[in-house]
Amino acid sequence: MNTYFVVLLILFGGAIISFAINKVSYLLSGIVAFIATASATVFFYLNVDTDNFVQFSLAGFDFQWGLNSLSLLFTYIVLGLGTLATLYSIQYMRFKNNLGYFYFNFLLGIGSMMGILFSQDFISFFIFWEIMTWSSYLIVVYNGNKTHKIGIKYMIFSGIGAYAMLMSIVMIYADVKSFLIADYIDYISQVGLSGHYLQIILLIVGFGVKSALMPLHVWAPKAYANSPMGYTSLFSGALSKMGVYGLSIVLLSLLTNFNTGENVSLGGLFEGINAEFIRIIVQWLGAITAVMGTLYALKQNDAKKLLAYSSIAQLGYIITGLAIGTELAVMGALFLAVLHAIFKGALFMAMGAVERQAGTTDMTKISGLVRKMPFTFIVTLMSIIALAGIPPLGGFVGKWLLYEGMITSGHYFLVVLIFFSSTAAFLYCYRILFGIFLGQEEKETINVREAPISMLIPMLLLAILTMVFGTYPGLLFEPIANAMSYIGYNDVVWEMSTISNVWGDKVSLDYVSLTIFTVFIVAMIFLTIKNYKGTRYVTTKDISTSGEMPTENENLTFQLNFFQPFERAVAPLYKRSMDKIYNTIGESLDALFNFVRTIYTGNGQTYALYVIVFLVIMLIFKDSIFN
Amino acid sequence: MEDIIYKILGAILTIITAFVVGITYGGLTRKVIARVQNRVGPKFYQNFFDVLKLLSKRTAINHGVMQHFAPMFIFTSAVTVLMFIPILHDGLFFSNFSFHGDLIFLLYIMPFGPLGMALGAGQTGNPNSAIGVTRGLSQMVGFEIPFVLSLVALMVQFETTSVTEIVNIQVESGVWMIFSNPFAFLAALFAMFGMFRYAPFDIVGAPAELASGPASEFGGKYLAIMMSSSSIFTFAKLVLYVNLFFGGAENLVELLIKTFILYMVPVVYGLVSPRYRTEQSITYFWKWPLALGVIGMIWAII
Repeated sequence: MNTYFVVLLILFGGAIISFAINKVSYLLSGIVAFIATASATVFFYLNVDTDNFVQFSLAGFDFQWGLNSLSLLFTYIVLGLGTLATLYSIQYMRFKNNLGYFYFNFLLGIGSMMGILFSQDFISFFIFWEIMTWSSYLIVVYNGNKTHKIGIKYMIFSGIGAYAMLMSIVMIYADVKSFLIADYIDYISQVGLSGHYLQIILLIVGFGVKSALMPLHVWAPKAYANSPMGYTSLFSGALSKMGVYGLSIVLLSLLTNFNTGENVSLGGLFEGINAEFIRIIVQWLGAITAVMGTLYALKQNDAKKLLAYSSIAQLGYIITGLAIGTELAVMGALFLAVLHAIFKGALFMAMGAVERQAGTTDMTKISGLVRKMPFTFIVTLMSIIALAGIPPLGGFVGKWLLYEGMITSGHYFLVVLIFFSSTAAFLYCYRILFGIFLGQEEKETINVREAPISMLIPMLLLAILTMVFGTYPGLLFEPIANAMSYIGYNDVVWEMSTISNVWGDKVSLDYVSLTIFTVFIVAMIFLTIKNYKGTRYVTTKDISTSGEMPTENENLTFQLNFFQPFERAVAPLYKRSMDKIYNTIGESLDALFNFVRTIYTGNGQTYALYVIVFLVIMLIFKDSIFN
Repeated sequence: MEDIIYKILGAILTIITAFVVGITYGGLTRKVIARVQNRVGPKFYQNFFDVLKLLSKRTAINHGVMQHFAPMFIFTSAVTVLMFIPILHDGLFFSNFSFHGDLIFLLYIMPFGPLGMALGAGQTGNPNSAIGVTRGLSQMVGFEIPFVLSLVALMVQFETTSVTEIVNIQVESGVWMIFSNPFAFLAALFAMFGMFRYAPFDIVGAPAELASGPASEFGGKYLAIMMSSSSIFTFAKLVLYVNLFFGGAENLVELLIKTFILYMVPVVYGLVSPRYRTEQSITYFWKWPLALGVIGMIWAII
């Protein structure tokens, strides 16, 4: 039997079994889910073969399933993070209800993502895409009534994306007379891009919704923050990457490779559009997404929402990198895509651990957990360093490639925008570390304990990965180089621990790590022996306050309006918000429908009246109408 | 084998030089400020005594491991930045790892120390520390924008991101960056005001307001390490500026003259200025410095 069928069978079968077995024991459901993903992962990587294609026909359509190096890269994200997230969820979801429902949708999500990566034709791609959307929607509304509106918003935007995609697929079929993705790429390579821009724009809209590209991002912050954290790590880490996967096909395989620079007039609305123009628009949208995501992230008081906005910002970098399309930028974007899955997965898991142990992730309610949850803190710290892009952890490599890709290809103002966003990211990075783990230790959190070991293991594994990729990014460059050769970048040069740009400048990461760790360890040994031993621990109330002694009940916590001066400085940027615009549209639509409801009252008598009135009008004007 | 010994000796020599120069500059600054305020002021080597005194102190209490780690983060960052900057043009002992890093890397390793420090300051629970940290980070976003604009202008103009290459090109052509792109230099100079945190940008420490901010819970050996790290860091940043805009230096004397003149600019500017509010000090960098940076970049592109 074929690998693809077996993997999907394991995942979808596991979904049904864990749904059914929930009746027996709450633990079994999670364990079954974990076993299913783990065995699917093991089976898949034992039998992985990029040349193996399956073709079959169903209901008159030709389907083709297979694997290319690009989708192989994304399977690492989906299966790797999926396995760890299911392991994490066993304990995280332990005291919650409806576990069968949760794991069913969870596995359905993983299975459908694998399906998307297997699909080589638009029909099965679209079907799996819809399964993914629906299963994630059902988990978004898992937390009950208050998530109802969030779910609707998510569904509306997913619907817009799905219909854009479907429309595009229909138009493609009308042109190519085949649903195969490869056929479409072939076709475009022969006839050129002119006349097909609408299809591409619609595809970008479809994928842009999932990858939270502005202005299609408004569903994301709340949907990420209100799903159970075990799933959000996958939601933000892997599910959004499906949008990135689609965009990399559209932006790279189609737009960049076959951009002949022609400027064909399409008339009307699409006057003067060419491939370069679309790419510039997407680049700037990505950069603006990054800036706005960051600015909104540092305003949040809830750590989950903060991370949700930060996800949007990070996806902005990735999309900008893809849209720029030079070798270095694409490499950086794909590297960041994998790294983002790793560190954001770890961060959401860590926040889930805090939520489970301390009851909330609201930074105005808890603080000073570092001594109670040391491992969670270490995971958060390492992931945050990776997120901020500080060497020697992995995030730096991706950021470096992205910047060098932009500078060497002449996107100077874009690089400043991205740099602004990533410097401002330091602010929210510190906010989340300080808000939850540092600061005053409060009485309310005195009974908080470290999370269970089965939740810590996935988090720690991910954190260690960020460190490994920081020194040896070559481990990841190899699959990325293969993936890039699939989308048309031949001979991508990479080295195990040196990154270099087209001007010949390089950074040797082994030297960086060597210096940092040597100096740090020498300083640590010196200071620990000389200074740390013999000191005694004092509480956070015992601090220097100009001679006064703060009493036990005195409030020294600093959490509200954390970055108020900065918010004042960038106040003009906060004035406009896409969310507000959509809400205004929504409200005016509401008003319109309310008016319609005064006509369609639902009362049979009123409708009878309308019929009579209509007949009367017809009778009166019959001469002038029918002449 | 010999190579490695030279490397290690060179690294130690560089660190000692940076420490001595940085501390002396700090002492001289105190003297200059005192003279302007019509005081006698301490001796220029007073800071050495301060560091030595602090190093001999014992610490009695701690607020946890992160506080203990904080000075090491800042020391590591300062030394790492120093290692990846070429101190002298063609120096045998002073080149260190400068071939293995570039400008973007330096931009990203620079916040490593302050962020580590911020973690330690956060764990102490002192609200003044946390306020100082938030101010420092906000200000960083402010001054990094003109700084990055100016650096991008440089990279574009020379088509390289390596500091060593930039120095080489300037030495070969004989035209310093300050003359070939004055606007980029001015933008970077303004950014430097924020980087060195003298008045009016001393919002992080903010004497008489935040009680020395992030550093307020650190004493004894911790404070000594922090003082020496910030001296090393100051020296590293000055050398970076000299490398980028003044064509590097052939020998130590030239380097000292160039760095000292450069260092006195923010000090003297600070002497006559009161302190800004935080948002003023952020938006300061987004007005003229930003405009100068944009002009510098356009200059470089054309």
